[in-house]
Amino acid sequence: MSVLHIVEVTKTFPGGTNAVDSFSLDVADGELVCLLGPSGSGKSTLLRMVGGFEQPTGGRITIDGEDVTHLPPERRPTGMVFQSHALWTHMNVFKNLAFGLKLRHMPANLIKEKVEAVLELVGLAGYGDRMTTQLSGGQQQRVALARSLVLEPKILLLDEPFASLDQHLRERLREEVRDIQQRLKITTLFVTHGQDEALSMADRIVVMANGKTEQIDRPDVVYRNPQTPFVAGFIGTMNLIEGEVQGGHFVRADFTVPLPIADGPATLAIRPESLDLAASDKPGASVHRVTDYGTHGLVDLDLADGTRLKSMVAHPDLFRAGQGIELLPRAVAAYRNNQQIYRSSP
Amino acid sequence: MSEVTEGAVRPLIDGAARRRPIGLLLVAIPVLLMIWLVIWPAMNAIGRTIWRTDANGQLSFDLSSYVFFFSDRYSLDNLAVTLWTTFVCAILLLVICLPIALYLRFSHGRLSAYVQALAIFPMFVPSIILAFAFIRVLGPNGMVDILLNAVDLPKIRTPYLTPWGPVIGLVWDNIPLTVLILLAGLGSVANQSIEAARDVGANALQVFWHIILPRISNSVLVALSFSVLGIFSSFTLPYLLGPASPEMLGPFMQRTLREVQNPVGAMTQAVVAFGFCIVFGLFYVRSVARNQGK
Ligand SMILES: Nc1ncnc2c1ncn2[C@@H]1O[C@H](COP(=O)(O)OP(=O)(O)OP(=O)(O)O)[C@@H](O)[C@H]1O
Ligand SMILES: [Mg+2]
Repeated sequence: MSVLHIVEVTKTFPGGTNAVDSFSLDVADGELVCLLGPSGSGKSTLLRMVGGFEQPTGGRITIDGEDVTHLPPERRPTGMVFQSHALWTHMNVFKNLAFGLKLRHMPANLIKEKVEAVLELVGLAGYGDRMTTQLSGGQQQRVALARSLVLEPKILLLDEPFASLDQHLRERLREEVRDIQQRLKITTLFVTHGQDEALSMADRIVVMANGKTEQIDRPDVVYRNPQTPFVAGFIGTMNLIEGEVQGGHFVRADFTVPLPIADGPATLAIRPESLDLAASDKPGASVHRVTDYGTHGLVDLDLADGTRLKSMVAHPDLFRAGQGIELLPRAVAAYRNNQQIYRSSP
Repeated sequence: MSEVTEGAVRPLIDGAARRRPIGLLLVAIPVLLMIWLVIWPAMNAIGRTIWRTDANGQLSFDLSSYVFFFSDRYSLDNLAVTLWTTFVCAILLLVICLPIALYLRFSHGRLSAYVQALAIFPMFVPSIILAFAFIRVLGPNGMVDILLNAVDLPKIRTPYLTPWGPVIGLVWDNIPLTVLILLAGLGSVANQSIEAARDVGANALQVFWHIILPRISNSVLVALSFSVLGIFSSFTLPYLLGPASPEMLGPFMQRTLREVQNPVGAMTQAVVAFGFCIVFGLFYVRSVARNQGK
């Protein structure tokens, strides 16, 4: 039963890097929120401030109403799972998990009980006597997760915990973590720069860029209705086309579509699956390459000024490299001044 | 199937066989040097102290020089002061160098760079200069006395020519190497494993005791054995700064050889010192082996 409030938190490093800039977020009880953003967008820095490993230069962080902004990590009710698992190699698995409980002066039999229960939870029952160096990467990450969970933290923090694992294992662990999180109803903040990870796990996604929030929404909303050109380009594949709106049309030398907004410059956004194509003799777009994936095809197109677009088509055999093409977008969104100003109903 | 495996294995063996002579040659040089410069003189010295020519000019087995050493009050006092100095220096080095190394490992910025330069500085100062600097500062009517005098305070009881003289000099002399070895050990302690410990609730002291110390115990051992071996057989600093009696084994040997002109006595003292160093060495090897076995 824990809620996390991050209120206008800012972090400026001594060198002058503004890693996190006036960032606010409320995480509800039992919610899993993913921080998603490109490298250097300040995700880790934000997470480390929640964990107490960095001091914010401005703003407040509260957990269940208690201000923890200036508490050291050892006095915060948070548990962190690091990217490089950070297990203590001179202790076996049991001791790794028991360490925090021992520091809390818990009686030995209770420690044993709890450690065994949490090992069971992460699917490593009976591994207590192993040295951590004798575990696979996935098992090590599970132990790291168990080490945080055994202390029953109010807030669980994970910083790209699967980044060093292979794709297959990553997907499995992702599901396991999601299951455990739902079973324990533990409030969780999860950092990743993999969008499929965020889309598949999160209750809500925070898209970050340059230390600022770009959008906070449910995964499907973030995908279907990106609020800024950055989010549009970052989540999934998106065609972004610069142009000018004149008299209710988005106009370029190479193509024109109706766009009922005020005149001025605009960025048009079209998903590949919403961009239909038709063969054409008019000068404009041309096919660069056709890729056949069996279930569908992907056509790469070049506009006259070199802008590369992608279109998902049902019958790739209808298209050939070099062929002239007419663009028939089914759903578009438009952005001006970094804000969404138009979205056609799907 | 089996043919394929054999084919795959054979080149490996061939390669190993071809590489072996080079490996042996590389090992042979230091081994030969050690036999020539260390083991042979040591055996020679041991031989000459236990096979002695008696009054009739006959070579015979004779432990009398050792009996003398271990029954002579003065020799035993010298041995005791050597062990005491070594022990006190080892403790002081740990107490001084661990905090310095920890500070250097975990803080960044200009101040820590200065501290590092200061800690490493004694390495570039020859012992003799170090000894004279010591005398000029802490000796009778040295800088400290002058400063105290200027503010009308009594003079210090100078450590010069007391057993504490060599202790201070030797500790200062050994700080750089000890700090460097400890720092190298601390380099293997990952930041994230320390942060993980703090995350589960360990304060600074608990992090040091439970996470850092176990990881650097080997480095502590290496640092201590280096300094212990060096200090036990040191000469210059005890000779220049220490009391005339009791004196450490280094100056004691030198005096026995040059002033008392008793080469067998000096050799006996050397063999005894050698024996202690071997004991330290064995202790070190055993601890390292046990740590690695864990
Ligand atoms: N200790 C530090 N000192 C100075 N600058 C830092 C420090 N840590 C991070 N930064 C800077 O802050 C910015 C944000 O870094 P951060 O590690 O939070 O990014 P991230 O979103 O986690 O990226 P990644 O996906 O690569 O992990 C970067 O520009 C980085 O260079
Ligand atoms: Mg990061």
